[in-house]
Amino acid sequence: MAAGLLPGVRVLDVGQGISAPYCAKILAHMGAEVIKVEPPEGDMARRIGPFPGDTPHPEKSGLFLALNINKYGVSLDLASTDGANALKRLVADVDIVIENPPPDALEAHGLGYETLKSINPGLIFTSITPFGNRGPYKDFKATDLVIHHMSGHAQGLLGAVEDPDSNPPIRAGGHQADLVGGMAAATATLMALYRKRMTGKGSRIDISSFEAMVNQHISGLAGSAYGRPAPPRDLAKVQEAASGGNVSAIGGILPCKDGYVAVSPREDVQWERWLVIMGNPEWATDDRYTTRDARQRNSPSLWKLLSEWSSNYSKHEIARWGQEQRIPCFAVNTVLDLLHDEHLAQREFFVELNHPEAGTLKYPGAAYRFSHAKLPLAARPAPLLGEHNRSILENLA
Amino acid sequence: MTMNDLPLHGIRVLDLSWIIAGPTSTRFLAGMGAEVIKVGSARRPDPSTGSPPFQAYNQSKSYCSLNISDPKGLELVKQLLAISDVVIENFAVGVIERLGLSYDVVRAQRPDIIMVSSSGTGHTGPDKDYVAYGSLLQHYTGWNSISGNPQGEPVAGGLWADPWVGMELAMVTAAALNNRALTGQGQYVDFSMAEALSAALPGAILDYQMNDREPELMGNRDALYAPHGVYHCAGPDRWVAIAVTNDEEWNALCGLIQRPELGADPRFANLEGRRKYQDELDAAISQWTIQYEDYDATILLQEAGVPSGPSLDISRVFNEPQLRDSGYLKPLKMRDGELRDLPGLPWRFDGGDGPDLTEAPVLGQHNEYVYQELLGLSLDETNRLIEEQAIY
Repeated sequence: MAAGLLPGVRVLDVGQGISAPYCAKILAHMGAEVIKVEPPEGDMARRIGPFPGDTPHPEKSGLFLALNINKYGVSLDLASTDGANALKRLVADVDIVIENPPPDALEAHGLGYETLKSINPGLIFTSITPFGNRGPYKDFKATDLVIHHMSGHAQGLLGAVEDPDSNPPIRAGGHQADLVGGMAAATATLMALYRKRMTGKGSRIDISSFEAMVNQHISGLAGSAYGRPAPPRDLAKVQEAASGGNVSAIGGILPCKDGYVAVSPREDVQWERWLVIMGNPEWATDDRYTTRDARQRNSPSLWKLLSEWSSNYSKHEIARWGQEQRIPCFAVNTVLDLLHDEHLAQREFFVELNHPEAGTLKYPGAAYRFSHAKLPLAARPAPLLGEHNRSILENLA
Repeated sequence: MTMNDLPLHGIRVLDLSWIIAGPTSTRFLAGMGAEVIKVGSARRPDPSTGSPPFQAYNQSKSYCSLNISDPKGLELVKQLLAISDVVIENFAVGVIERLGLSYDVVRAQRPDIIMVSSSGTGHTGPDKDYVAYGSLLQHYTGWNSISGNPQGEPVAGGLWADPWVGMELAMVTAAALNNRALTGQGQYVDFSMAEALSAALPGAILDYQMNDREPELMGNRDALYAPHGVYHCAGPDRWVAIAVTNDEEWNALCGLIQRPELGADPRFANLEGRRKYQDELDAAISQWTIQYEDYDATILLQEAGVPSGPSLDISRVFNEPQLRDSGYLKPLKMRDGELRDLPGLPWRFDGGDGPDLTEAPVLGQHNEYVYQELLGLSLDETNRLIEEQAIY
């Protein structure tokens, strides 16, 4: 079976942190040869945890290790003539350059898109910034936190709360906004690569992480385009909105003996089967809960009743009972649950890599399996800082 | 970009998908120039039909009505597969085979076709038949467990699985198209929505192995940076997000809020100190932010060089001037006569505007094009198939 989907495709990852390295990691997973270019002090992700024992170490950042699997690594001082020249020689021989600069970083070293394009006319140059290169916010500084809040995603995360003024919106954990920017960049870059294959044309691609996150909300934007109000955050207003049809079907998490279970018996037939699982409790005949519409309107009190029942059982027990009755029902998994999950194990989701400094660790693999290509998900661990300086830089023409 | 310049010009996608993730993925492909033919039936309407989200999920597509459960309908699907480059489906596991459209059948129509199959938990493994809604699946993947307030329960909300998977399916399709262009080889792709989200939690998964602990829920706080949070502004439920990532931004913030003594205090001179004392610092910052509207505070903070922005709900996101100036939201005159600003694609090629997307179609709108122009059926044949409810 072929190794990867992109034989012969070469990528220069000039990015730091999360978004651009994640984009380049996706291309490396797909089988491209990716060379990571770091400044002499290393990618800033080497300073972001987790670290073993919470002790920072440039070769042991879990985040860096995961985002840079399957890449080769060189270190270059782009401010020096030698470094800039080496980068130009690397650019001459690649299909794709990916960056996520503080404004104009490559540009500031005389290595902006126009310069690189003159070296390599068919180059695909992908740049990820917080707000793109247009609009009133193009020079604004932003982080994962800021993008989460500005893109509307923080507002919905907690669900409705009793007192919005003392319970502010929160961001999701795990640098998700940066990852979304990287995913958008990989998607656009692979499309540009296809165009290059068919026409020989290179591309300059600009990604705004803000826009990429906003785009994760197209259903909400469409609602706004039709004049629909935003879903309320105030619990008291949820009931009001529910009677106006603006809250979606019931569903959520229930407390269990050992954690939580997520369930949504939203259709009438599902609800009937769910009642059987619960042993047909008496309250179910109450008018407030007999129709889908009524259950939706009275979901706060309904949820209390469901919680009283669920607290007696384990999350995996309830999930199994629900799924046996074809009701969408899932244990709220912890990381430990994932690492021991039989389903993921049979699908060989986790891949194991041995890194000379960080040791042997399990990394999440990919969500996709191709019938006629084996992806190189564990070809090599993340590079040590400057690991391939000799083998790559000294062989440059 | 002109139509011919769009990257996926010349690619035809047969879209058997429905609900959210699948249609979202083919929307990306359609926006980038592929001809997407959405197949649906009045027997089982796409759940978002008639609602505003349908408009967003199905921009720039053609839509034919076709009853796959009917033997003659199935024959029509096979004829369409023979002239398609990509087919995408996201039925529950096993359904596509029961319909008579397993990968073996599909590639018999078109040997180099790319068939993308997406399901909640993937197409192999003991839990492959689990029924899933995206919002619940998030809990199974660990995604909801990495977010929340300290000592709180896992977050209940967040619409993440479907939009994330929609984009990743488009990415995977583009990767397979590149491979086909290089090697001539088609593919069957087994895609798991759950794995897509679990794969995006590398920090938590490695932290567990390194330190034997589950993710610490931090609300808006950060393991590295401080101050880092949202701060109450003037008005109910109004907040500005502020993230101080280095000493320079810290000093700028102290200057802006006119608290030079904080900037001079050695306890707060580095990240460690600011993390340790962040309750105290948060209180000082809030005294300043409460005097301003969220947007006004943002402008002042950005002018001072401090990463910041308002916490917006979707209505306020929709009104953002940035999204119009950057060419993401574009006005479109729709068939009901109204002008509406609809979302585009989150990338720009070669400094231009994004592609112009067209209005989502209605079921059967492109029957004549699909059956008569593409498949070469006569009007009589088409009408007979309509009568027999194969085209339905």
